Amino acid sequence: MWESLNLKDVVALARDPYPSIRQWARDTGKKVVGSTIADVPEEVIYAFDLLPVTILGTHKPLKKAPSHLPDNACSLARSNLELALSYEGDLFSGFVLPQVCDTTQHLSDIWRINFPDKYVESYLAPRQADRPSARYWVKEEIERLIASLGEWTGKTLTNEALNASILIHNENKRLLAELYEIKKKNPGTITNKQFFAMMKLSLQVDKAEFNKSLKSIKDGLKLKKGKGYTDVILVGITCDPPEIFDIFDELKLNIVGDTLVDGTRYLRGAPSLNGDLIDAMADRHFRRGFFSPIHDDVFKNFEEVKKLYTETKAKAIIYVHIEFCESQEYDLPDLKNLIKKEGIPIHVLDTEYQTTSLSHVLTRAQAFFESLKGGSL
Amino acid sequence: MNDKLTSKQLSKKITDEYMEDAFHAHDNGKLIGYTTAISPVEIFVAHDIVPIYPENHAVANLTAKKGVELCSVVEGMGYTNHLCAYARSDLGYRKTGVTVTRGIPDADLFLACNAQCFTLTKWFQVLARQGGQPVFVFDTPEHVMNKKAREEIVKYCVLQLKELIAFLEEKTKRKFDYDRLKEVMKYSAASSILYKEFLDMAQYKPSPISIFDALIGMAIAVYRRGTQECVDYYQTLVNEIQAKVDQGIGVLPKDQEKYRLYWENLPVWFKFSDHAKMLGSYGGVILTSLYVHAWSFEFDLNKDPLVTLAENYVNRFSNSTIEDRADMATDLFKKYSMNGMIMFMNRSCKAVSFAVPTLKDILTKRTGIPALVFESDMGDQRFYAESQVRTRIEAYFETLDRLGLAQKTAAA
Repeated sequence: MWESLNLKDVVALARDPYPSIRQWARDTGKKVVGSTIADVPEEVIYAFDLLPVTILGTHKPLKKAPSHLPDNACSLARSNLELALSYEGDLFSGFVLPQVCDTTQHLSDIWRINFPDKYVESYLAPRQADRPSARYWVKEEIERLIASLGEWTGKTLTNEALNASILIHNENKRLLAELYEIKKKNPGTITNKQFFAMMKLSLQVDKAEFNKSLKSIKDGLKLKKGKGYTDVILVGITCDPPEIFDIFDELKLNIVGDTLVDGTRYLRGAPSLNGDLIDAMADRHFRRGFFSPIHDDVFKNFEEVKKLYTETKAKAIIYVHIEFCESQEYDLPDLKNLIKKEGIPIHVLDTEYQTTSLSHVLTRAQAFFESLKGGSL
Repeated sequence: MNDKLTSKQLSKKITDEYMEDAFHAHDNGKLIGYTTAISPVEIFVAHDIVPIYPENHAVANLTAKKGVELCSVVEGMGYTNHLCAYARSDLGYRKTGVTVTRGIPDADLFLACNAQCFTLTKWFQVLARQGGQPVFVFDTPEHVMNKKAREEIVKYCVLQLKELIAFLEEKTKRKFDYDRLKEVMKYSAASSILYKEFLDMAQYKPSPISIFDALIGMAIAVYRRGTQECVDYYQTLVNEIQAKVDQGIGVLPKDQEKYRLYWENLPVWFKFSDHAKMLGSYGGVILTSLYVHAWSFEFDLNKDPLVTLAENYVNRFSNSTIEDRADMATDLFKKYSMNGMIMFMNRSCKAVSFAVPTLKDILTKRTGIPALVFESDMGDQRFYAESQVRTRIEAYFETLDRLGLAQKTAAA
């Protein structure tokens, strides 16, 4: 299903992967388990011979979610709920929902109440990351998830199955990282939209199959430097809708670094295969980059972003703000001030799932980058 | 010495002394710890850290209708207007110094417990960035409905309480005294029992207290629990309300108390007394909410203090599943013989409000009682539509009248 895709196929599937996932589930007889972002150890789900699918919103209209979550709730949370309630719920046999903030905590409850016949488990991520207890808790939660999935599926997880799963996931991250390097240095080869479509689809389809596509895409690339590109850093949690990447491509922006949960933060999450695998999965939690709901040090985030900006010699930072994401909204004013004080150009892009018109995003981004080129920022 | 004082006088005395102590904390070699209203403050009290609750200060300003003035300043700093009004007004106070009280002393350190909400953690982080003080996050995973998971959550929380103690020892250069903690726990346990007894007096018909009394009465439980004076205060309060019960004195006279109402969420602080009067004119008295019960702890003094602290702070309504919250509210409906419910969708408080639509569906189904749902903000007057709220309340009581719920409850 996903083993011989070209870049065009990937972009089309990333926009709506669900028909293909439905077909795959029918063909293989395997169950599909949905998760929302972030930090659910998908290797564990996969090792139970289930397909972990990260739900990243729907572009279809909201019908049912507003009666459960009001309009000042994070638009990604509402969009995810809508996807499950109105459009793709039947595809999933179960859900593993991470809790990282008030919204995701309630979302888990609402989800469970609305799907009484499905398997719904919470993944209680620690909302502190700097003390030994956080590591203890990550390990406990991974073990609890294994026990819970074992009970649901009637299977016992073997070390071999988990090892094989981690291998596939790590291979996926390695291939994506290589493609990212190619894209950064040769922006004429892979567009932003194509690269982030590969990232997104990796979170949603069978990686054993998709890795073959990624390898063949990589091997078939004809390197093109391209001209007139402006290198930028993307900071935030996710960037949606995918048409935003069209805008970046239209403006000839080359994303050379990011802190997105479905971007570099995902790539950093490869557990080591030496030693205890659960320990390794717990360890990787602390190697991943800044994620606003669980990390508290905006100064550290600023240093990370600054380092990324300096190392990549980027020209500007684009901060992607998801409308009504409280966590981002408490951090952003200080982060923005720190970045501005450093003399780094920053453009804040406000996004909302279910956005139908992006003309305002294009106009604002155009104005920002024109003034950047004119040096008048 | 306090025997002659009324609960109101006692509350004022305790509050004045507490604030005086806070403003002179450094003179007395004590540190100021900002903390969340739901947090294991017993650890602070046992270690002579003066707890300060920016929420309480925010309530004073918001009740005095300072919300718009303070919040507008913060919005000019880049914070959006849909963040918590407590946080916005507090950040506005930091910027302008505007307050209706004498203000609050600055923090030396922060303790953020997310059993209450995630917002407070983020708000404290903003304050800590401004002042460069350390923040300790006491992370309380949701009290999920799985016995084994709950046991693990308590273990995780006990580990964190030990980390908290080590953190305080490092900041104060003093050894933590576990015997002192046991003593503090005795006071907390005793005052919690009395506080609950006070709240539960709303069971009487007519009810001698409304939620507005409970909201005033809960203040000492929030900021002075773990002390003898807190126990004394609630004993005095319980005695006073019991005297009212003995004399048959209700918020409304018995023949006028038609609707005994449940309130979901925090109050609209700047409409506090208006709402009480408005509802009273329809024969309605709001008796209780899960919010005021958040400080009815059930500490088990036979257990390790850290274990009973962890168990109690992790299972607050605000950290419970919606199903458990529905069960808690259902128990209150039965216990207090309530026949109406007002569900407030509070734009400021996402932690409580995002559960409201689901909770309303469950409660109306279980009780057969219709609900009044209205959306506004607990502190920002710009989100309060006076005529709309009045019209809805009027229509709601007409519905209850039509259903004959007052008669049914009286007969029951």
